[in-house]
Amino acid sequence: MCLQNRLRESRLEKSLTQESLATAVGVTRQTIIAVEKLKFVPSVKLALELAEALGKPVGEIFWLDRTGAGGKS
Amino acid sequence: MRGMKWYYVSRALFAAALGAVLVLGGSAWWIGAAAGTLALAWFLAAPHVGRYTVHPDHGATALRRDERGAAINSSAARNGFVVSMLAIAGIIIYVGAFAMDGVPAPVLQWLLALGVVTYYASDFWLRRMHS
Repeated sequence: MCLQNRLRESRLEKSLTQESLATAVGVTRQTIIAVEKLKFVPSVKLALELAEALGKPVGEIFWLDRTGAGGKS
Repeated sequence: MRGMKWYYVSRALFAAALGAVLVLGGSAWWIGAAAGTLALAWFLAAPHVGRYTVHPDHGATALRRDERGAAINSSAARNGFVVSMLAIAGIIIYVGAFAMDGVPAPVLQWLLALGVVTYYASDFWLRRMHS
């Protein structure tokens, strides 16, 4: 069971750079990169902050992939 | 960077203190100067290298790890501790098995260095893996 996300797509829809999104939620750009590449699983708090910054429900950006294909559990 | 005055002032003082401690501890003046300069160079670069989030309103403690940085730091510290403890256990067993007088002090210094090297190697490796 893996946590998947469409953070990159949601960020690009809002025309935000990784740097500006990172600044908005108080993390480094490397953390945004790691989350987008499924190399780092964000905390619930960070996931909620990212969703709020992108103006979407958290469930539209993060979801569980129960097939376990790809990503990181 | 605006608002970072107290960060830079505090780190300049820390770098100077580091050099002074080394010189007062018996090191050559140039070793103290080099260590202070290297420390100051790192402190000047740190806000720009992307490892930390920058909070100018926090004054001298303007640099903070975010949750990924904290997770990496925690794992690296755990790895360093475990490697040090296993090495110490191995040395104690080795010394006991061969009935030596005790663990020589220089060996303990090397074990400590091993833990430090493990910490930095883990930090480096985990940052590469998680990016």
